[in-house]
Amino acid sequence: MAEAQTTRTQTPVTILTDGYRPDAAVYDEMCSVTGDLRPHWRELVASLEAMGMDTLQRRGDEVQRLLQENGVTYNVYDAPRDAQRPWAVDPIPLLITSEEWAVVETGLEQRARLLNLLLADLYGPHSVIRQGLLPAELIYAHPGFLRSCHQSLAEGQRWLIFHAVDLGRLPDGSFRVLGDRTQSPSGAGYALENRIILARALPNLYRDAPLRRLASFLEAERATLANLAYRNHEQPHVVLLTPGPLNESYFEHAYLANYLSLSLVEGEDLAVRDGRVWLKTLGGLRPVDVILRRVADDYCDPLELRGDSLLGTPGLLQAVRCGGVAIANALGSGIVENAGLMAFLPGLCRHLLGEDLLLPSIDTWWCGTAEDCRYVLEHLDELTIRSILTGQEPWSGALLDKQSKDNLIGQIEANPHLFVGQATVDLSTAPCLEDSQIVPRPIMLRGFAVAVEDGYRVMPGALARVSPGLDDLRVSVQKGGISKDLWVLAEAPQKHVSLLRQAYGPVVATRDGSDLPSRVADNLYWLGRYGERLDGTLRLLREALGQLLELQEQDDADHCLEDLLTVLSPQEEQTVLANRSRFFNFRRQLLILLTDQEAVGSVPHTLAGMLRTGRAVRDHLGEDSWRILNRLHQRVQQTSPSLTAREARESLEGHLTLSAAFAGLNNETIPHHYGWLFMDIGRLLERVLFTLDLFNLAFVSAKNPGVTLWEVVLSTTDNLTVYRRRYRSALHPTAIVDLLLFDEGNPRSIGYQLQRLQNRISRLPHKESTPYRSAEERLVLEAVSILQLADIELLSALDHSTRSIEELARLLERLEQPLSALSDALAHSYFSHAEVPHQLITMMS
Amino acid sequence: MMDYRVTHSTVYDYSGVVALCHNEALLLPRRLSWQRCADSRLQIQPKPALLEERLDFFGNRVLYFAIQDIHQCLEVEVQTQVSVTTRPLADTSFNKSWEEVIQALWHDPDPEIIEARQFVLNSPFISRNVALADYARASFPAQRPLLDAMVDLNRRINQEFTFDPHFTTLATPLSEVLESRRGVCQDFAHLAIGCLRSLGLAARYVSGYLETRPPPGQPRLVGADASHAWLAVYLPGLGWAEFDPTNDCMSGEQHITLAWGRDYSDVAPLKGVMSGGGSHTLKVGVDVEPLALAMRKNDETLVAVSDVE
Repeated sequence: MAEAQTTRTQTPVTILTDGYRPDAAVYDEMCSVTGDLRPHWRELVASLEAMGMDTLQRRGDEVQRLLQENGVTYNVYDAPRDAQRPWAVDPIPLLITSEEWAVVETGLEQRARLLNLLLADLYGPHSVIRQGLLPAELIYAHPGFLRSCHQSLAEGQRWLIFHAVDLGRLPDGSFRVLGDRTQSPSGAGYALENRIILARALPNLYRDAPLRRLASFLEAERATLANLAYRNHEQPHVVLLTPGPLNESYFEHAYLANYLSLSLVEGEDLAVRDGRVWLKTLGGLRPVDVILRRVADDYCDPLELRGDSLLGTPGLLQAVRCGGVAIANALGSGIVENAGLMAFLPGLCRHLLGEDLLLPSIDTWWCGTAEDCRYVLEHLDELTIRSILTGQEPWSGALLDKQSKDNLIGQIEANPHLFVGQATVDLSTAPCLEDSQIVPRPIMLRGFAVAVEDGYRVMPGALARVSPGLDDLRVSVQKGGISKDLWVLAEAPQKHVSLLRQAYGPVVATRDGSDLPSRVADNLYWLGRYGERLDGTLRLLREALGQLLELQEQDDADHCLEDLLTVLSPQEEQTVLANRSRFFNFRRQLLILLTDQEAVGSVPHTLAGMLRTGRAVRDHLGEDSWRILNRLHQRVQQTSPSLTAREARESLEGHLTLSAAFAGLNNETIPHHYGWLFMDIGRLLERVLFTLDLFNLAFVSAKNPGVTLWEVVLSTTDNLTVYRRRYRSALHPTAIVDLLLFDEGNPRSIGYQLQRLQNRISRLPHKESTPYRSAEERLVLEAVSILQLADIELLSALDHSTRSIEELARLLERLEQPLSALSDALAHSYFSHAEVPHQLITMMS
Repeated sequence: MMDYRVTHSTVYDYSGVVALCHNEALLLPRRLSWQRCADSRLQIQPKPALLEERLDFFGNRVLYFAIQDIHQCLEVEVQTQVSVTTRPLADTSFNKSWEEVIQALWHDPDPEIIEARQFVLNSPFISRNVALADYARASFPAQRPLLDAMVDLNRRINQEFTFDPHFTTLATPLSEVLESRRGVCQDFAHLAIGCLRSLGLAARYVSGYLETRPPPGQPRLVGADASHAWLAVYLPGLGWAEFDPTNDCMSGEQHITLAWGRDYSDVAPLKGVMSGGGSHTLKVGVDVEPLALAMRKNDETLVAVSDVE
């Protein structure tokens, strides 16, 4: 081995890869044992060479930027809420020849056929168990074996529609299966996104590359899903069921839903009635024919599977049983993810298919047989030990201390059938870009197969994932990490096809109307509200920081910071302090509002609400809107909590521009149908309530009322210029009230906003059966009438008469009441999906 | 042979309205070589939009129904006429020791024996452990014939445990039952199963009804009966022998079998998930009425389950 290593250093491959020294004990994808470039890499390396390291590094950064702007993320479950890990992609593709890939292709195809037959047997006659080919304990003790799914599919129907395997390459260059993913395999969407982004960042490299394209595989996925439908064969309604925005691969769910033209739904959006599955939309229930699920088996139906699941739909399994809906993959298919199965697959393959297993699994010993158990205990140091119970981290025998080892041995001896030992694999390495250097990193491939008419079709590509260091060989999607684009080389360049540019079958013109899911309407409404709240907070903060700056220059500058803070952070008690400490106290409070996510009402706090609701409807927002929202998120995250007043105000200006751009873009790009209506209603309502609050502060409750505060009201609502032009005089409260409250020609006035709100609400879908005004219409009408019937004369002496002030206070309060009630009424009429189903009996505490 | 008319009624009253509910009932008695069941009469209020019967993984008759009308009260009444005869294994001469039985469980390639092994494993309510094995050990000295040992275990549970309907709930763990020596029929069945499995034997949970006889000279009280539970232990090559630790006996003609599974979680009589409803109150009434030949009423309307749709 030492010799091999010296040989390598002596023959540097190229200038670009000069420092590239793979470990001779493992297989390297780019270099042979002698250190020579493998022939199929020559062309790529030459191109990279021509590009030069600086350009490559720049392109690598560009890839990262594109990913972030597109919001490609991978949520990490144990990280705090809203902490998303950006998906990282290495700019150097991983190359594999067609001949090598053919081995994987045929092996994967066979494996999918095998596991499908095995599932049908386990959930049917379980003959493989009865005949002793598979130990009873391996299946019956596994939590993935769901007895309710027994015989839930009619004979001949396919259990496994999508299959994914994790593959590693041994030092001899052969592929081994490290694990099967059979419930709701994820990753194909990321593979696609990686390909698209790299092609954008490295156009020259990709345009002429002789690589096999992915689009036709996704087209096969789409066709397969459509063919699963029991009815509506012309235009089946296919939905993608996601656990929601907090799931680790939510990005992929939204991305695939868009790419494959599916509705993105959550469990609560669906209901089972009359043995069929329905999507709750604004226009009522719409039948669902096929569900592509990304929810784990046992969470799908709280009636028959996990009773505590909030992600599923009660009655779903019964709907499957009576042919009301098709689900891919079939519920219960997780049982074949069982690591212990690998020890029995060769025999099962011969029995069920009459073929030899083509793609071997990693060496696996199931401790349920005495002989294998003995082997595992004797070779603990060389093996990885896994429990077949789900959700348990594997143990790496070599890394255990004495006590943990004894502990593990005790566990294995007590319940041997729950443990397997697996050989540790030295994964192959591939070149990766790290700090302007190309270094070998261990990689693992996730390959994908989809059922087609006569078997399974394998994606001509894969998601390649990079292990963060040579020591940590556990490459896991759950933990995020870096990925690479896998090129399966073709003989000649292939034409580029994208599903996004095609239509399928007869196109039925739709206007995204009343079939909008209620949950989406709910989230769009709140996206509108949070967006406007953020805008208001930013504007008010800008004014406050302006006053803080003046205070910094001049101790006795006029300001109304105490008053502004009662609106910005009402929970904080305002105390009167001496000059200098007063300044620092104000600055501290304003910086908290600018940077502290925990503070209610702060900029990051409100933005988090926007992101949460935005992600839940991300398939309804345009790409550019996303980019802006992500940029805003980055900016806010990067704002330091120790800025000076001036820096803080400068950074705020940038926030404001992006916030306004987001609102404007949405207005310009989202079709003005129901979805947009709800978002706009949210914005308008929030703006009216915010303006009412400001008025209340400036004219009723302020400790230091006067010109400074009036100015804030005008500039926060963008009306200072209008006022000056119209009145060309000093500020007068009555004039301000007229401009901002009653002037229906002023787009920023409450009168104008209310009219728009009334218009939007009248356009919402109606219950057909009733000729009367809806609750929402009545409430907004009430607010409009209160304003229009107000006696303006009484308000004319706001600068000196307490009577006028009291009248205004009363008017503001009367306006506020129906508007606050409006939000609840909307929720009741349109978003009532939020009611969570619950159990009749609770069996386990 | 004994004939019965079993009536099991359940009434849920909700504090709020329920818009939609999906339910699963295991209230139709199994059809067995020793138990004949006429078609059940089924009354569900409000009327279900969908009603389907199927066999579950264990061969139990499951009734799925969905109610799609707004309601505030759910009533389910199932009435079945059942004839029970002596069980095939009631007086077997099976004399293998319990160790031999374990050997057979592990090494006999007979498919039925392989299948029975699933009843050695842990189940949602029953986990094998040392405490249970220790408790069982007094009845299971080396080489004792399994059936003798089982009779002894059955008797000890009956004598050493107090029947106390107020002590345990569905959620009381087995360890607490063992420690406090109190519980109800369901706990005793779980306990006996836990003991057997902890030794490596296969045992399953049986739910059903027991005819209760009034004290001499007193009339039968209608509706005073309750659901009952017992267990069965597997004898390789022969089948399942049933024991009732609550009554220190093997099951006989008074034991009417509803369903069986690994433990209670497989055979809960009525499960449901609904939208809305708030809190609820529950009333359950069980009546096991023996039908003397002479008294057997002309049952006017025995409606087949499949006809109710």
